[in-house]
Amino acid sequence: MNLSDLSTPTRDYSYAFLDAFAKRELRRRILKAIAIPGYQVPYASRELPIARGWGTGGLQVSLSLVGPQDTIKVIDQGDDQSVNAANLRRFIARMSGVATTFDTLAATVIQSRHRVPEEILSEGQILVLQVPDPEPLRRATPSMTIAREMHADADYAVMWLNLYEQIVRYGEFTGGASYPVLVHSRYVMSPSPIPRWDNPKLHQAAHLTLLSAGREKRLYAVPPYTDVRPLEFEDVFFKVESQYGRRDRMTGATHKFMDEIAHADGSSTFSLSDTGYQDKLVKRQSGEAVTVGATYYDDHGEFYHAGFLKS
Amino acid sequence: MFPTMPAREARAQVTFRAMAAALSYPGRRQTLPVTGFEAFLAIAESLVDLESSYTTNSRDLDAQVGPLGGRRLAIAEAHYQFYPTLAAHDLIELREAPVGTYLYPDHSATLIIGCRFELGLLLRLSGPGIQGATEIDVAGLPEDFWMLRASACAYPLGWDVFLVSGNALIGLPRTTRVEVA
Repeated sequence: MNLSDLSTPTRDYSYAFLDAFAKRELRRRILKAIAIPGYQVPYASRELPIARGWGTGGLQVSLSLVGPQDTIKVIDQGDDQSVNAANLRRFIARMSGVATTFDTLAATVIQSRHRVPEEILSEGQILVLQVPDPEPLRRATPSMTIAREMHADADYAVMWLNLYEQIVRYGEFTGGASYPVLVHSRYVMSPSPIPRWDNPKLHQAAHLTLLSAGREKRLYAVPPYTDVRPLEFEDVFFKVESQYGRRDRMTGATHKFMDEIAHADGSSTFSLSDTGYQDKLVKRQSGEAVTVGATYYDDHGEFYHAGFLKS
Repeated sequence: MFPTMPAREARAQVTFRAMAAALSYPGRRQTLPVTGFEAFLAIAESLVDLESSYTTNSRDLDAQVGPLGGRRLAIAEAHYQFYPTLAAHDLIELREAPVGTYLYPDHSATLIIGCRFELGLLLRLSGPGIQGATEIDVAGLPEDFWMLRASACAYPLGWDVFLVSGNALIGLPRTTRVEVA
């Protein structure tokens, strides 16, 4: 036996950047997170060459997942080409050699900042959501210790009180993104700042969702086919943002989540937030062969789990 | 030039993905890159290191897992527990395996247990990750294990179980309801 048998070739970086210890730690936490849906598992959150708060939570999860067989898609508010998304995608690809794509259907791992794609994700796909603040009780209590006790006791009275006060004051739920959900009838969870439009997509989904906050060092998960219900009352229901009357300026698509584009004269037009989906619609209209998947909301705005959204 | 993945790390990555899929879709068989004793070792390599604890009832496995650096603890404390074969008398101690606390339900045991996915006990599974219900056949496990598991799994507390047969892997997270048919 000589020295070269015992050592590996010199490498400037570990595969997928993170060292083996960091990956093992993340993997242990991810498995526990899947086993306890909605429970926030603490983890070490290593340093990365990207500042905390710029998607390091999601990035660490993606890096601990990927292997050479994967195809990754990274979106930032639905957009594949924003600076944040492009940089994270390039980093993951450089560090692991994974294939990259803009196509939701072709991706095995989708890292996302604050959107769930419009096309229905299928079994085996993993959605990694970046989370700025994992604690849904943060507004109720500034103390992490007390929040943890409240989760342990399943004491969510303050959340209901908060919703009640919103209705008393404003006549409707005023929470926008990060609308709290109850996972597997046990833990109240922040679904990350996805719009309310995307909340129902986590309910009884075919795919695995992993949520990770790098700065706050917490990760949690929603396994496939798990109940994820927005907090709502028996007589006042959770509502998604109305996309009524909005029409994509490039493809004419309706009943999808739209970005509003303001113009100098005070008017505004709308554009699909999910640019990968928009690209495919544009290609289809110009006659290119392209597979457009079924979407969570159909062209009439009906959600694919009939009856889940009450009215 | 991409960073390359040494064979050991590649095995750990594939093993971990199989485990994540197994917990995501309980009752569905996933494939490990290696089989038999090696499968247990591959799972140990992807989970156990200086920061975690383990125990096992197999001397052979102990000799191989020890050098990974994990702390060998008693069954009542160890977070990763390997049982290539689980006999009825093992259940007496297994009863003590940690189920976590309400504050930290993740401080609980993950059991990796050898068995055979062939005609034996028919189990009906339901819960997160399963559409409706599904059934699996498991042989080579003491029947009382299922009673023990049911009493340990008072959600959110409980054990997360991986069943290994050859190179096939089935995950049973604590959320899975198991009925012996």
